[in-house]
Amino acid sequence: MVRHRIPVTLEEALEHLNETTYKIIAGGTDLMVQNRAWSELPPKFDAPLLFCFNLEALKYVKEENAFIKIGSMTDLETLLHHPLTPEILRKVIYEMASPAIRKVSTLSGNIGNASPAADSLLALYALDAKVEIKSQKETRLSTVSELILGPRKTALKQNEIITEIIIPKSSFTQTCFVKVGGRRADAISKVAFVGCASVENNVIKDIRMTINAVAARLIRRQDIEKGLCEKTPDEVKQNVNAILEAYSTSIQPIDDQRSNKDYRKYTANNLIKAFLNTL
Amino acid sequence: MTKITFTFNGKPIELHTDPSRRFLDVIRNDLKHTGPKEGCGEGECGACAVLINGHIVNSCILPLANVHHQEVMTIEGFSKTKRYAVIEEAFIKEGAVQCGICIPGMIIAVESLLNRNPNPSDEEIRVGLSGNLCRCTGYNMIVKAVLRAKEMGKGLW
Amino acid sequence: MSTINKSVPKVEAKDKISGKMKYVSDYHVEGLHYAKTVRSTIAKGVIQSIELPPLPEGVTIVDYQDIPGKNVVKMIYEDWPVFAEKNISHYGEPIMLVVGPSKEMVQAVFDKIKITYQEETPIFDMVQSKVDYHFTKGDPQTAFQEAKKTIKYTYETGYQEQAYIEPQGFIGTLEDEKVTLIGSIQAPYYVKNAVIDTLSCKPEDVRIIQATVGGAFGGKEEFPSLIGCQLAVALKKVKKPIKLIYEREEDMEVTTKRHPSKITMEAAIDEENNITAIKSHVGIDGGAFLGLSSVVLSRAMIAATSAYTINHLQVDGDVYITNTVPNGAFRGFGAPQMIFAVEMFINHLAKDLNEDVHDFRLRHLAKQGDKTTTSGTFRDPILMPEMIKKACQISGYHKKKALYESSEKMKGIGMSWFLHGCGFTGSGEADHIKAKVKLRKDEADHVYLEIAAVDMGQGAKTTLMKVAAEVLELPLEAIHFANPDTDIVPDSGPTVASRTAMVVGGLVARAAQEINENWQSGKPQIVHKSYKQPDYMEWDQATFNGDAYPAYSWGVNVVEVSVDPASLEVRVEHIWSVYDVGKSLDDNIVIGQADGGTAQGVAYGYLEVMNHRNGKLLQKNMTDYVIPTAVDMAKTETVLFDNPFAYGPYGAKGAGELTLVGGAPAVAIAIEMAINKRVSKIPATPEYLMELMNND
Repeated sequence: MVRHRIPVTLEEALEHLNETTYKIIAGGTDLMVQNRAWSELPPKFDAPLLFCFNLEALKYVKEENAFIKIGSMTDLETLLHHPLTPEILRKVIYEMASPAIRKVSTLSGNIGNASPAADSLLALYALDAKVEIKSQKETRLSTVSELILGPRKTALKQNEIITEIIIPKSSFTQTCFVKVGGRRADAISKVAFVGCASVENNVIKDIRMTINAVAARLIRRQDIEKGLCEKTPDEVKQNVNAILEAYSTSIQPIDDQRSNKDYRKYTANNLIKAFLNTL
Repeated sequence: MTKITFTFNGKPIELHTDPSRRFLDVIRNDLKHTGPKEGCGEGECGACAVLINGHIVNSCILPLANVHHQEVMTIEGFSKTKRYAVIEEAFIKEGAVQCGICIPGMIIAVESLLNRNPNPSDEEIRVGLSGNLCRCTGYNMIVKAVLRAKEMGKGLW
Repeated sequence: MSTINKSVPKVEAKDKISGKMKYVSDYHVEGLHYAKTVRSTIAKGVIQSIELPPLPEGVTIVDYQDIPGKNVVKMIYEDWPVFAEKNISHYGEPIMLVVGPSKEMVQAVFDKIKITYQEETPIFDMVQSKVDYHFTKGDPQTAFQEAKKTIKYTYETGYQEQAYIEPQGFIGTLEDEKVTLIGSIQAPYYVKNAVIDTLSCKPEDVRIIQATVGGAFGGKEEFPSLIGCQLAVALKKVKKPIKLIYEREEDMEVTTKRHPSKITMEAAIDEENNITAIKSHVGIDGGAFLGLSSVVLSRAMIAATSAYTINHLQVDGDVYITNTVPNGAFRGFGAPQMIFAVEMFINHLAKDLNEDVHDFRLRHLAKQGDKTTTSGTFRDPILMPEMIKKACQISGYHKKKALYESSEKMKGIGMSWFLHGCGFTGSGEADHIKAKVKLRKDEADHVYLEIAAVDMGQGAKTTLMKVAAEVLELPLEAIHFANPDTDIVPDSGPTVASRTAMVVGGLVARAAQEINENWQSGKPQIVHKSYKQPDYMEWDQATFNGDAYPAYSWGVNVVEVSVDPASLEVRVEHIWSVYDVGKSLDDNIVIGQADGGTAQGVAYGYLEVMNHRNGKLLQKNMTDYVIPTAVDMAKTETVLFDNPFAYGPYGAKGAGELTLVGGAPAVAIAIEMAINKRVSKIPATPEYLMELMNND
């Protein structure tokens, strides 16, 4: 018989994780659907669950030095309205799911679930976000992009839990989020795009672009971004086709029930182009 | 079996059951409240919506464990409030109810929206209700009903 | 002029808002058992073996061998088995029920059932015709011979899922020999008659009660008969109360959809650039079984020129059988497909002929006295010219059209003109349905409507109660209308085909009139009334000749869109509608129908995508099958025109389906304008628009 746990403190949660294998569940918006059984029957989890959503110690948003730190069980609805939430992350969250879902969704859940179509990850990748990961014996840091290995696969160890999302403070002269879904609200992305840039004195100082749902993992090509820095916006605009060509090795979408690969590629290219044209 | 306690429509509840169960099933089967409905079972349609600490949540994908120590209100509890009376009157006046299966969830969404924003615009209402699907009305009269409710209920939210 | 159209609070609204209203899944009885359906996992083939695990006590398997009567669901065409025997015709076909005292026990058995199949090559293309209809009007042959030129196009439409928010289901009980089914249904007597045939029992041994319906849109017209028959067979075997409620995925995968169609139209054009004749072929995909498909085809074919009059017609149609989920009733019933084709065709013709579209359409618009497609007569006044003017005025159509056509901004405005035949096609009402109503007055002078009409949200209760109250000059509180129970109410026919207000409402008005004339305060009175066809109706089903409908409702939709240049996503900016439904019996209710119907129609045109791969639907939940949210729907403005129909109560005609049928072409024409390409397929998704943009 599986024995689920509802720890009251982080220490208790870490203790349980050290004893045996648990599946950590935050708001449950993904896991409860993925493991759904016939209505009225308990969901079909194959491991005991560790319910961490209500760990008060992990619900906070704070500013520390050059970082915004978000407790891993902070819900997205709270982040949407919090003054410290970075602008681009707020833009992304505003178009994610619905108020009811956002209230029980967490960034750590999105990371743990590692969906290639997750929108919040677009902002986290673009902002060079890190996560703090704890086990009973150890605390370590990892970038979000290193933690996510592939669809539904992370480098999180059996006895570890994500405790904090750490976002370096950054300022951009422009940010943009475009979500393309089956409809205008409450949709899973066919493709979505985040662009952040700083242009000073007609020179690009910083540029970051992330795209989801067009490959097994989110795309962020820092090699291409580096090549655009210190150029003028006009130089970049004249060079759009070469830039798209450089991205094309990464943009490898598939056909599924929501869209097809041709459209995903077409739209991803258009979104990159449209963003570069606004520089 | 785990002991779970929470406040349900103002009353303390203690259950000994599997904490992974969907809260919707607990509400409907254990607590015998059938106002929240199952439309999709995956958090998409909002027919199962309830208020947790005053904010809308879809109970069909909510594990029971997550309401431990929280305050829950269903349409049955909310229907005894002044705010409800205003929303009800506005929905009736605007003719916003057709088959009705989405409506208890929709009312919860309206309360949650007005709780956060007592004076929403047309667009903010649509965004606020975007997690509650209605197949009958095309939402036109529902949006009008919310506009009417916020005027009628000035000061209540 | 009656003021019946003034809105009143809907009679059931309070119970629905407060969550008190009981829907089928809210019913509970002691000793309840649960049923789950075992389904085929192939599209076509033969069952080779079924391996069952040892059954724990209390768990029962119910299959075709348990059927006392016929293993076929009684519908228009009887080819749909209650349970598959050997042959499998579509993915998800029901093979058996597992019934037990708890869901845990049922699921445990369900998981261990092993079925092996001999697979056969399925047919998915529209090649295997099972029903073909043909009719002509005038002399199309000669018209085509004499034509200056001919123009031909083909249009295609996809699936549409009703997506009622309440899935299908029943709860059933058995008492002695009598089966009682409480369900989410549109047609209590369809279920009753089907169950009688399946059980081969006496009519009095079957009782059907309508639970409050959480949305239907045609999806609960014929399909519930299948579930009802299965559950009735199970009740007879298990002898315990049983609940059978579909999960959302199951509902989406196996219940009927709107028929995908392929419609070819060819026009003969004369020297003045007028259409003299049209030849059409209407092909619809029936899925694995015919069910109601032949009637859907009829309605599509009869709408062959929609709101226009063309003197010479040849209309051919086929229902093709494929190894896919059976398709069936959905608000509009064949008309949305045909009207999409007609509206696109007339626009494309005007463009090809360098004619002003508006002027070209006006020249062909139907007028009072014109012959219908089936050579019947448009007897009643047609207000379309005024309605079109009104629609243009409230939407700013002409100015916006000129602006958007000359701009690169990817905006568009589209207009559709359409009609909808009210009630059953042809002689269905008089020959098959023969609707009856019963009104009963008690000692307290309260009047009870004992009728089989179903309120599925469209407002049938309030509307029909208002009709009775108005005739009887009683307050609404003195009129009562409970959900139909076949032990109490006579067969007033199914709640379909935009017939309830006009036909059942007409009967209620006549019955109320009779009570009124013989009014005796404090004394019980009972009045029965049966349907009488208007005297002018003549219909020959064999040749499709005569008056296909007693009356027509008319409409104009205007839809404004913008298309995103990067993603080609369509945003509906505004919707305007003008409708003639005879006389509105309650403005809020009619406009509510208009808002919702137009939303479904517009979404059918650009948003709602359903496809199958190897017979298995790809979009089988509410996440993947996308219906509009409040953000997707634009503001809608609706104007109603009064045009009372002599045979409808207070002049009412049909309203429910009319509001859906014009949405798709209006949005498709708007999209055409925005992208400056021709749309010949719906839904006009961004993926399709990309293909159009790339095909330069």
